[in-house]
Amino acid sequence: MDWHQLWSIASAPDNVPIVALIPLLIFYIYLAWKQASANDALLAELETSPALAKTHHRKTWPFRPGWQKEVHVWPFLLRIEFLAAIIVTIVLMVWSITLNAPLEEPSNPNLTMNPAKAPWYFLGLQEMLVYFDPWIAGVVMPTLIIIGLMVIPYIDTNPLGNGYYTWKQRKFAIGTFLFGFIILWVSMIIIGTFIRGPGWQWFWPGQTWDHNRLIYVVNRDLPDLFGITSNLAKGIFGVIVVGGFYAIGGFVAHALFRRYNPKDYRRMSLLQYSIMMLFLLTMVALPIKMLIRLLFHIKYVWITPWFNV
Amino acid sequence: MPDKSVPENDPITSKSYAAHYVIATVLLIASLFWALWDEAYGQRPWKAYQHEWRDRYTAFLRTAQSKSNTSIKDVETSSDYQALAQAYKQALADTSAQSREITTKLREVNGRLLAVRSVFTDRRAYVNALTYQIETESSASAKQSKENELNKYEAQTATVEFPDGTRKAYNFHELEDAFIKVNDQKTKLSVELGTVLKPVTEAKSKMDQYVTDHMVDLTPEQIAGLEKKTEELDPKILQINVAEANIVDRCESCHLGIREPVKLTPAAMSGKGASRPDEYARAFTSHPEPELLKIHDPEKFGCSPCHQGNGRATTSVAKAHGNYEHWLWPLYTRQNMQAGCQTCHASDMVLTKPDGLWDVIDAGKRLFRDRGCVGCHRYEGYDREPEQLQSINQQIKLFEQQKVDNLKDAADLMKQADAAQTNEEANRLNNGAVALKVANSKIDGRLQQLDFETHSLMQDMKKVGPNLKDVRLKLNRNWIPVWLKKPTDFRPTTKMPNFRLNDAQIRAISAYLWQSAFIDPLPRQKPGNADHGKQLFETRGCLACHSLGEGENMRGGTFAANLTRVGEKANYDYLVRWVHNARQRTRPYCPYEKKDIGPDDYGKKGLPYVFDLEHSRCPNDGHELQVQNMTVMPSLRLSEDDARDVASYLITLKEQQPSSYPDASFMEDTSLKAEGARWIRHFGCGGCHEIAGMEDEGRIGTELTQEGSKPIERLDFALFTEPAERGGEEPIKDPQDRARLPEGPAQRPWYEHKGFFEHKLAQPNVFDQGMIKSETEKLRMPNPHLAKDQIQALTTFLLGSQETSLPDSYRYKPEDARGDIQRGWWVVTKYNCMGCHQFVPGQETILMQQQFYKDNPEQLPPKLLTEGARVDPEWLRRFLSNPSLSTSDTNRNGVRPYLQVRMPTFSFSDNELRVLVRFFQAMSQQPIPYIPERLPTLTAKETDMARSLFSSTAAPCLKCHATGEVQHDQHATAPNFLLAKERLKPDWVERWILDPQAISPGTSMPSGLFRKDKDQWVFAGPTPPSFLGYEGDHTKLLVNYIFQLTPQEQQRVASAMGRSRASNKSPSGTRKLRATQAGVSSVGSGSR
Repeated sequence: MDWHQLWSIASAPDNVPIVALIPLLIFYIYLAWKQASANDALLAELETSPALAKTHHRKTWPFRPGWQKEVHVWPFLLRIEFLAAIIVTIVLMVWSITLNAPLEEPSNPNLTMNPAKAPWYFLGLQEMLVYFDPWIAGVVMPTLIIIGLMVIPYIDTNPLGNGYYTWKQRKFAIGTFLFGFIILWVSMIIIGTFIRGPGWQWFWPGQTWDHNRLIYVVNRDLPDLFGITSNLAKGIFGVIVVGGFYAIGGFVAHALFRRYNPKDYRRMSLLQYSIMMLFLLTMVALPIKMLIRLLFHIKYVWITPWFNV
Repeated sequence: MPDKSVPENDPITSKSYAAHYVIATVLLIASLFWALWDEAYGQRPWKAYQHEWRDRYTAFLRTAQSKSNTSIKDVETSSDYQALAQAYKQALADTSAQSREITTKLREVNGRLLAVRSVFTDRRAYVNALTYQIETESSASAKQSKENELNKYEAQTATVEFPDGTRKAYNFHELEDAFIKVNDQKTKLSVELGTVLKPVTEAKSKMDQYVTDHMVDLTPEQIAGLEKKTEELDPKILQINVAEANIVDRCESCHLGIREPVKLTPAAMSGKGASRPDEYARAFTSHPEPELLKIHDPEKFGCSPCHQGNGRATTSVAKAHGNYEHWLWPLYTRQNMQAGCQTCHASDMVLTKPDGLWDVIDAGKRLFRDRGCVGCHRYEGYDREPEQLQSINQQIKLFEQQKVDNLKDAADLMKQADAAQTNEEANRLNNGAVALKVANSKIDGRLQQLDFETHSLMQDMKKVGPNLKDVRLKLNRNWIPVWLKKPTDFRPTTKMPNFRLNDAQIRAISAYLWQSAFIDPLPRQKPGNADHGKQLFETRGCLACHSLGEGENMRGGTFAANLTRVGEKANYDYLVRWVHNARQRTRPYCPYEKKDIGPDDYGKKGLPYVFDLEHSRCPNDGHELQVQNMTVMPSLRLSEDDARDVASYLITLKEQQPSSYPDASFMEDTSLKAEGARWIRHFGCGGCHEIAGMEDEGRIGTELTQEGSKPIERLDFALFTEPAERGGEEPIKDPQDRARLPEGPAQRPWYEHKGFFEHKLAQPNVFDQGMIKSETEKLRMPNPHLAKDQIQALTTFLLGSQETSLPDSYRYKPEDARGDIQRGWWVVTKYNCMGCHQFVPGQETILMQQQFYKDNPEQLPPKLLTEGARVDPEWLRRFLSNPSLSTSDTNRNGVRPYLQVRMPTFSFSDNELRVLVRFFQAMSQQPIPYIPERLPTLTAKETDMARSLFSSTAAPCLKCHATGEVQHDQHATAPNFLLAKERLKPDWVERWILDPQAISPGTSMPSGLFRKDKDQWVFAGPTPPSFLGYEGDHTKLLVNYIFQLTPQEQQRVASAMGRSRASNKSPSGTRKLRATQAGVSSVGSGSR
């Protein structure tokens, strides 16, 4: 275990946000989960007792019937927000005093730094470059992410869960969010920070980042495994596989969604539903592609003269 | 729901956040103050330095003041100073009445001026503003109205109240006149006062000057000035900004004492009671080499061009010194400080100054050259000849091809002309053919010129190692594999590095060398007299370059091989030839054809098999041949017998019998030859040795011209990258190699250029450790077995080998006499001239260290400190090309036949001769071109007088000076006068006979022969009556006489002095022979 290596990564001024991100993320998920489960318990109780529901206070616990049902933003909310603002200001000031901007030497066109890493918030995108063509990972995917985020209000037909934490009422929305944010975004940033070393090779945390390390990896294309040689056949094969993924995946997702989320399904129009399915399946495709690359060393599935997937 | 007690009031509305707010606010304010402190001091550590500086330097100056106060008292009590003070008082008294009167007047005028001026300036300001409005007003009517206003204003009167109480009213113009008048009055009075006080100020300045001149250190005034300056020091960043070179150096913000006019040591700048100098004390010292600072004014050069570091950084010591990961030019360490010199002084290949200002970098440069690093590593400026030769060869090839093409085209044209229809057509074609032939003759001219250049280059081109084409003739065969195994085992001081060859490689390499070598028979030599040889070896100067004995017992120079065991390896017959003339080649080499030319080639063309510098054309293609061995070893012009004697002596130098070496008959195995060639190419042996078939092998190493600025990532630390970065265990395990590390085994991280170079030089294959590699992949660099200080010098040199952002004008590349000196040192050190001769004061030659010369200093070769001023450059050129000054009798010294040590014949090329002659001229600040002084012809009377001086018994010149007469010259210790006329410069001779000790301390020529009598130099000894009334200098007379001395005259004087007949043989006959040749080239050099 190379603690020196681990420490030198964790202590780099560049990586402060990521190192802080890990415990903060755990803490806030825990906090949200705690509140959501309390809310869910309360909701279950209120559903069984209409009398209580009429008088019940906004808070899950503690509760006295005489308390105000609603409170004003000022001062009851803003005083807390202001306190938070002060604390954040203190943190930022101390941070900026103690850590200087991590500037490096003037760039040398003849010598690329190794590993050459993007700013921490883009490391997820950089990690995607390993698995996809640059224009897919760098242009198509980010565009899809942005459009997907913009689309959410229009396809979200679930009216519940406004202004309070809940899990039971929004299982699908929260699950999808956690999948997209934790698995697809944060974990890829952590991989990019802690695991990708010189030559963008995979180094487990605590492994020395040896610049001279040599590994033997051969990545093959899926059509090659099936012995397909002609370009046309490769293209057709890819269409079938990718199309198959969307068809079969769509069928499975459809079945699950209908089974576990019948209310939402009923509320959604065909357009809303198909847009949601498209984004959902594309989102799921990303980790699948990563896994078949990392575990089975399969480079591309669909090969055409213009793009590879 | 959890069963917990429920509070009475709603926590949301009733909970108090006061405590949270108090704590958060306190923290916020605390962090605000922290930020302010950080802004003012944390990010500006230099402020603390400046405060500390103020305290310590003031304290230092106070003690200095008290010291200088006592010393100034000594000065002030001196009678000279008292006289000056008296004069000052007198002057003051003389002028006091007058000056007092003027001062009173001046004071009165000043008062009036003040009164007028205050009114005048106010009104003038109004007038000017109004005038500006008129000038810029666009409409004519508005202009008019403004002008009216102006006139009205000017006509208004203003009252001036004078100091004596009177009041007067003036309009503007009157006011202006009044002001000018009063001002003039004041100027006049001031000038008057100045004139009156002039003697006083002069006397005062004389007094002050006297104090300054007689104080060892600073005067109390100067110290007070410094103290004031220090007290007024306002904390701020002090920076040197040179826009031209993009230098911004803020080093002096902390290093405040660097340029102070007093010497500040860490001890002096330590605080009271400090046991050791702290960081402040060390920062405040003055620059250790104020002389260097004088030449390199910091206002022009800054600090970082020499020292490196981050000149702009001010936030911490580490940042400013550039000692952090991302600054590419960290401060040079103390040990490698001189690396900074290389930035601008890369063209100074030799930096000779004995006081150690740049000894380390100079040693590095020399090692790089002498140890043959250039054999593998290209470095701009080193070993240029092979590259130039190659480019000339290519040009020759192009021209040759063009010639062939032209001839072919011409033949075609002529053929077409024969078949032409019309006469005109035929004429045109024929003319075309003629033009092509003319073009060919032009090409011939150019080719000749290129061949001429080649001739010089081939003469200049030297190899560090011996010519291995001669191994069969030269060496004991069985010795070769033993030597290759580890050269230092046989000869610890050899330049040949250890190559870590395995047995198979040794067998193959030695087999190739043996089988590719010449087999031409050598003449059998009869044995010589070893005792006489030993005597010759020790007296002819061989020890200036070669050494004998090992370790403690070593004597002689380290420039060339140590000969302690030469008898074990060498072949006697070859040794005789080598000693007689080391440059003699077995066969000439034609670089154009790339082959060694033998008697067959000459025979085919019906030419005699003769090749030397005069016969250097290839019989096959007419181009220049390499006719010399590429060694710097000169010819000592020994006779054949003497050469045999020396060789006989050398062959006795051995520790074991040559026959005791194990048999190496595998070297005859032809199957090994191909593999041998492969390994020889692999290891780049051809870089230092001449090897058959490897003449054009390129350098195998990396170019080092800018090695110091190579990114650290490009230096391969291999498996030691991590240990070097983190300061792991020292990778060099071998105790011998470990001892080579200048700073011992690694104590701290060494992932930097310095660490890489030091490790690489201490054990070149250290980065192979732990790697699995085949023989051909292993690092090839051999171990140069250097000592600690040598590695430090080379590291310094390499660290300084950087690409610089400084403008070209900062680099020292003078084109005047200083450039001649730069180029000259290269040649001087190339041939180790300094082994025998002294070039700069204080330089110790190798011969001076030898016991024989300590006992007989008069036998030392001449010092060349003022050689350029002493000798005629034309003569010097002739002498250098043939130091015997004779074509027939070469087994002697031309100038100083009485010296046993021999000035050898170096066979300098025309190019090197010119460089050397200009070097000597430049070293003595002689103008170029040299115009000989014309001496007046002596009258008969003057000749008589001069002769009487020349032969005076008080100073019998011919007693010591050689005359050419054999018996006499055995006891002579000075050169023949007959040489003077062509050799010496008259003005130098005059200075020389006045005071030889001043020019060459320790010379046996007596000083004080002449004394100054009024304006005339007269002979110190008795002079005959004919000198009465002679007003010229006796020295001039004697010099003129010497320059007009004829052999007959010298003979007459000598015989008159009771000496035997002076020889009338003179070397002038040979001189005529060479005069024309030398004259031609001197014109060329003179016009440059």
